[in-house]
Amino acid sequence: KTLKISHVRPQDTAIDKDLRWFSETLAKASDSKIKTKIYPASALGDYTVVQERVGLGAVDMACQPPASAADKRFQVVYFPYMVKSWEQARRNYSAGAPLRNVVAELYNEQNIHLLAAWPVYFGGIALNREPVEPGNPEAAKGIKLRVPPMKTFQLLADKTGYLGTPLPFSEAFTAVQTGVVDGVIGSGAEGYYSSFRDVTKYYIPSNTHFEVWYLIINKELYDGMSPEQQKEITDVATQFEDRRWDMAKADQAANEKQLADYGATIVPVTDEQIAATAAKIKKEVWPQVLEDVGAEWGEKVLAAIKE
Amino acid sequence: MDIVTISLISLAILIVMLSFGVPLPFCFGGALMTMCFFGGATMKGTMVWGFNQLSNPVLLCIPLFVFAGTIMSESGIAASLLKFVNIFVGRIRGGLGVVASVSCAIIGAISGSGLTGVAATGPLLIPEMAEKGYPRGYATALVANSSILGLLIPPSVTMIIYGWVTDTSILACFLATLGPGLLITALFSVVNLVMARNFPLILDPPKNMAETVKEGVTLTSRAIPALIMPTIILGGIYGGIMTPTEAAAVAVIYAIPVGFMIYKGLTWSVFVEAAKNSATAVGAIMVMIVFSLMLSQIFVMEDVPQALVQGVFTITQNKIILLILINFLLFFVGMIVNDVTSIILIAPLLLPLMEAIGVSPVQFAAIMGVNTAMGGVTPPYASILYLGMRIGKVEFSEVIKPAMILIAFGYVPVVFLTSLWPDLSLFIPGLFGY
Amino acid sequence: MERIFKYVLMILISTVAAMQFFQVIMRYIFEIPVMGLEEIVVYPTLWLYFLGSVNASREDTQIKANVLDVFLKSDRSRLLVRVIADMMSLIVSCWLTYWAWDYFKYANRVWKESPTLYIPTIYAEAAMFIGLVLMTGYTGFYLLKNIRASLRQAYRSNPDNIIADPQPEQGV
Ligand code: NA
Ligand code: NA
Repeated sequence: KTLKISHVRPQDTAIDKDLRWFSETLAKASDSKIKTKIYPASALGDYTVVQERVGLGAVDMACQPPASAADKRFQVVYFPYMVKSWEQARRNYSAGAPLRNVVAELYNEQNIHLLAAWPVYFGGIALNREPVEPGNPEAAKGIKLRVPPMKTFQLLADKTGYLGTPLPFSEAFTAVQTGVVDGVIGSGAEGYYSSFRDVTKYYIPSNTHFEVWYLIINKELYDGMSPEQQKEITDVATQFEDRRWDMAKADQAANEKQLADYGATIVPVTDEQIAATAAKIKKEVWPQVLEDVGAEWGEKVLAAIKE
Repeated sequence: MDIVTISLISLAILIVMLSFGVPLPFCFGGALMTMCFFGGATMKGTMVWGFNQLSNPVLLCIPLFVFAGTIMSESGIAASLLKFVNIFVGRIRGGLGVVASVSCAIIGAISGSGLTGVAATGPLLIPEMAEKGYPRGYATALVANSSILGLLIPPSVTMIIYGWVTDTSILACFLATLGPGLLITALFSVVNLVMARNFPLILDPPKNMAETVKEGVTLTSRAIPALIMPTIILGGIYGGIMTPTEAAAVAVIYAIPVGFMIYKGLTWSVFVEAAKNSATAVGAIMVMIVFSLMLSQIFVMEDVPQALVQGVFTITQNKIILLILINFLLFFVGMIVNDVTSIILIAPLLLPLMEAIGVSPVQFAAIMGVNTAMGGVTPPYASILYLGMRIGKVEFSEVIKPAMILIAFGYVPVVFLTSLWPDLSLFIPGLFGY
Repeated sequence: MERIFKYVLMILISTVAAMQFFQVIMRYIFEIPVMGLEEIVVYPTLWLYFLGSVNASREDTQIKANVLDVFLKSDRSRLLVRVIADMMSLIVSCWLTYWAWDYFKYANRVWKESPTLYIPTIYAEAAMFIGLVLMTGYTGFYLLKNIRASLRQAYRSNPDNIIADPQPEQGV
């Protein structure tokens, strides 16, 4: 049986190439016993429905963001301004860290086994018009931003002076192009280059959140493998993750450069400005989202975040 | 059995069930059953997927455009548009036929489907054309053929579906069919003027200038509230005020008071009936969509599109021959299934092939758009022609010959031009930066 | 029944249009888009789709191709084709209803919630199962009706049984 792996980006993007590497390496390591086939560009559904399908075993594997429809506690992964730097991110999101164990447990409840993390980028804001005081979270900017349907991003946009505007992803590009909204929040340089490059005139790398995707597999499928096969797949998955951690920071810089080469202005944001925004967000956004995910549980997870 | 054979069997089952008159959602259900029993596919997780697709906000355009179209035809808005167009071409010999094409194009800019055009203009135009000496069958064929412009002049339900299943910009798809749509409008007008020479037409007595101007002014001012509707929709979408879904909703909300108070076609019971009929049509379409999507998803999971591309490439790799073959395929598909279905099933299957031979997804949108529109009037399954026959109270035998003439001189040239001349479909989207 | 469907469907489709309209006004004129509205609109929308389709089954106005009818001339053979079509519909409909039930059970177990307002999604998901059950019911009803009609016609077309009663009813 050939295992189906779904991901959310087009062919030949970084994740697609890494998954092909995973697929080939796994085939070699298992003597062609574990065969996989990659379905790019959400061909098997958006990440929410693919996560459900992995839980059901209809899709075998996926590498994508965690979907909070199944369990709102997944929002904890995307707490805005939870980590500051790539080094801190690696300490907190990689195997063995408390946050990683929490995520693995949340997936486990969905009948899904977590194999690896695939760090993507620090998020930012893409605009089709000139930014207004991009570093100052207190300034009302009069800019409409398309926000994804997640409370964290809606609050984030509103608390930093933007007009958060909920629109479905499928309508987001044309909405920016025609001017229904002025820009987008919730993704990063890579995502904007992939889906919004023609409407990105300015990019503000304000480190809104740390985006990480997870390589997941149906739990029964994993449990049903022989111990050798489990070891093979886990080993290759670990290499897949380690390669990405080594590459991710440079990849983010490369994506910002690609956006710039395509004609976008990268708006400089200082560390102090990010720190000021982070402070405001921790004070005003975190408590609301913590309330939703269960204050006691959420605070315990946040308390375990390493500096 | 290999997967292509099983897929073909499931499509054969689909066609058999279609021909027996099984409701479309269940025809797809039958094909799904075949894939599951013989092809090793599973419904597990497919329902989850289908339901998720159905909740996609993009699809919400469909009910709203259908509703807007129904209200427009019930409220008197369509009638006043007809009178407005009549000011310009009503006086010339064969002018009434031109009114049919042009009014359907304008109504097309409000409604998303072809049925609206027939429903809105048919009851007014067919009797009037018959009275003025046009053969009834011809009048019906012309109105049915023209009303398909509703699918080519944006907004359009088929293009919403196409853009959504192929992940192409819906606005770009809307604009892609605009060029072919206008060309068809022009061709129908010309064909009509030529045909009209042989009809024993009764012409209006000439009026003096002052009377004509006075009448023109009255009819134009009467038509203004109606003309605002396409302005709201297209201006709202392309002017960056709202998304297509929102534009459809605004059109509905605008049409209600206009229909009740200005044109007075709407009464409470007419409105309730129109809402119920729209909702029923929408339900039938959406449930058909969800099951055809599930079938298409099972094809994707079983790698049918790739197998198909490889198979076709072993026959020929010549772009022109392939495009002509695809038009023939789409013609036959259009004969047996309806527009939306044909797009859901065919677009994801053929898009990889199109990309391999260098046809852009936006041009392919226009190719599919024109072909599926034509499918609405090509028997044996010609929903729009049949509705026209019901409204025009004519027999199939009376309507088929003029319909064929209009198809041959209106659609067929445009079908081939759209395939072989990319600028016809790509120029207008290009102006908007797509 | 007619009245219930009429008003329920009218309310559903009007609500959906009104909600979208409200959002444009709030965003474009008042510049305060309503968060979560697009989440709420999914619920009436899905009920609109499935109850609309149930009504199409009830009125027997589902989209059909009826290709064979073009070639069949006698009412009798058309009625026979109808009965066969209804049987095929019923079989497929039952199968789909089974899977919709499977999905309903699943949805009830995982109890998903909408992303920001946390409204249980089962309130929308239930529409699929309930819709299919009702569609199956109406399909069965038309099957029985058409079987009876064709039996009556067979009885009547037998020369021994000539009676002068109204024309046999037919599918729409
Ligand atoms: Na249209
Ligand atoms: Na047809």
